Amino acid sequence: MLKQAILALALGGAIMAGPCTAHAKLQSSSPAKDAQLAAPPKALTLTFNEAAQVAVLKLTSGGKEISIPVDKNAKAGPSFTFPLPALAPGSYSVQWTAVAASDGHVTKGSFAFSITA
Amino acid sequence: MELSGWDAAAVCAKAVTYAATLGAAGAIFFLAYSGSLLDELLGSRIRRLAGTLLVAAALASCARILLSGASMSGDLAGMFDSGSVRMLLGAGEGRATGMRMTGLALAALALPSNPRFRALALLGAATAAISFAGVGHIRGLVPNAAPLLLLCVHLLCAAFWLGALGPLLMAARDGRDTRVALLAARFGKLALGVVVLQLAAGAAVLWTLIGDAAQFWNSDYGRLMALKLLMVSALLSIAAVNKLYLTPKLLSGHAKAIIQFRRSVTIEMVIGALILLVTATFTTVTGPPH
Repeated sequence: MLKQAILALALGGAIMAGPCTAHAKLQSSSPAKDAQLAAPPKALTLTFNEAAQVAVLKLTSGGKEISIPVDKNAKAGPSFTFPLPALAPGSYSVQWTAVAASDGHVTKGSFAFSITA
Repeated sequence: MELSGWDAAAVCAKAVTYAATLGAAGAIFFLAYSGSLLDELLGSRIRRLAGTLLVAAALASCARILLSGASMSGDLAGMFDSGSVRMLLGAGEGRATGMRMTGLALAALALPSNPRFRALALLGAATAAISFAGVGHIRGLVPNAAPLLLLCVHLLCAAFWLGALGPLLMAARDGRDTRVALLAARFGKLALGVVVLQLAAGAAVLWTLIGDAAQFWNSDYGRLMALKLLMVSALLSIAAVNKLYLTPKLLSGHAKAIIQFRRSVTIEMVIGALILLVTATFTTVTGPPH
């Protein structure tokens, strides 16, 4: 009886599982990773592989953080766009933290871009 | 895989939550199935242990949420950021923590020696143990009903096994060899089926998470899972020695068996704690690669 239960459990799990939609990964961004821009971008867009909420967004340049308001009450979604202030030429680093809507998992990432003129 | 100090703190808080919750649940299960083998003094000490673990589990659950907030922002201010905390609670942590707190409160009914509320206490202990399935990677599977059920079975079995170690060590320190032998024999008899069930459920859950096997085992998540499996193997080996060698020696009244048993259970507790720490790590800072 116990053996049958164990076998049923193991097979049941193997059969019933489907495609895995795990934690939120950054699929693309605008500006893109390592982009070299001729003009400052007006907005920063993050696109994830699944619905998520952006918890933290930090934009830094030359060691200084540039304030970007993040609405933590925004509904979960796959894409978020954040208006940017006027940015001077230079190198920028974006650090983000997101919470996946499907499993509550927190993911972090970063990427850089630069403005040449 | 890079970990900040706040990431490490959040992982530790999660490991403590696991240990305290599963330890409390397992101690309450132990009280139920050991029944008449426990005298008033030992029963009272185990109930005190369960009570301490229940409080520790509740506090660790709250600390975990605050430290997760700090981990998200990378600074202390994140602990007190209501927006981040609200986001975490809304994404599943609220459900899991609420379930755990409810379970812990019900489980506290096991603390008085009156057995009137034993059934409710057992239900509370089981609820607290399976609360960890309320959030996490398995939740993200489509469909997830069977994997969640398997995870709940895995968690209940883990509580049964790991939660018995504290009470067994307490009994072994009492110096009453015959009672320890009988308790170890009863636990061992039940543990055989429970451990097999735990391994089968755990293997099935793991199967649902592996997509491309090479990609899985080469990922941070896969490497940590491999470490967990290695430690589980070590734990199983020690448990086998306890059941097949030390428990018969205890039952036959062998002179040094009690000392060897105490040492063996202590080692099991240390490995169990490490398993929970590794599990807390791969369920917090990494994820299955696909």
